[in-house]
Amino acid sequence: MSEHAPTTDAPTTNTASDSEYKRPRPLKRRNVLDRGSRFGPNMTPMVDVTLVILIFFMASATIAGPEWFLRAQLPAKEDPDAIASDFALPTPMLSAELFLQDSQPDQIMVRGIGSAPRSLDSVIEQIRSMDESAAAGLVLGIRSTDEVPYWAVVKLHDAGASVSMRVAIR
Amino acid sequence: MRARSIISTEGSGARINVTPMIDVVMVLIVFYLLVGQLAIDRKAAIALPSSSTGITQTQDQDPIIIGINIEGALTINGQAIERDRFAGEITGMHTRSPSTPMRVRAHRDAPYGVVRPIMHQLREAGVSQVELMTEQGS
Repeated sequence: MSEHAPTTDAPTTNTASDSEYKRPRPLKRRNVLDRGSRFGPNMTPMVDVTLVILIFFMASATIAGPEWFLRAQLPAKEDPDAIASDFALPTPMLSAELFLQDSQPDQIMVRGIGSAPRSLDSVIEQIRSMDESAAAGLVLGIRSTDEVPYWAVVKLHDAGASVSMRVAIR
Repeated sequence: MRARSIISTEGSGARINVTPMIDVVMVLIVFYLLVGQLAIDRKAAIALPSSSTGITQTQDQDPIIIGINIEGALTINGQAIERDRFAGEITGMHTRSPSTPMRVRAHRDAPYGVVRPIMHQLREAGVSQVELMTEQGS
């Protein structure tokens, strides 16, 4: 208070507020070891690093996406009857060929399974309804014409894999 | 043990403690390096077909990832490669490491006419099995 005491030549109007002025206290600095309130290592850096790692793995999981794969054989021989002989034991073979009816992308047909060409969906339904123990001994050979979209090939492959068939694509 | 402060007042003048800044910058560098590596095979923006079944097991060896976009442009492990160089490149890789799995990441809407030549070249290179990458779904 004595530091701010008014002098004779100083203006007297602000004397009261000057005398009440207090310098604000600086923010309290954090101590690595605060002897007063606690003892032990500062957990803040560990929490920081843990949060960064957590965010990183969340972000990378989003980027990477849920992906998996279907395993497909690449038979060396072009003869459909010979494809099965590439495996260790002679294996019954289902040979399916995808094609577009009237070049319509929404009319994907399959020939080779059944006596007449059928829609992809009905063939998939038939394959999925097969007994898995019987289907597991089969090889599903898939071939396709050029204009058929790749997803249709994978969809048929997926149906075969769902009942444990081995799948060969050509 | 003295507490660290952001601005040290010891000695002749004030100094800024740059350690936290270096920590943060290093974390950011590592983050972008790793994310860039993860995203390297996504440069071709390939939308995968979905499948209800699949295998997620991890291999001991890093696979060779062959990317095929909707126009038929090719990548091997994220690096673009010309079609006429593909067969030689893949034959060399398979010869050097026959047990390395081959994974095909083809665009779901690509016509099979752009995928089949790649399968044929893989077969010609001696590859007997490929892994078709899909997204988990129905």
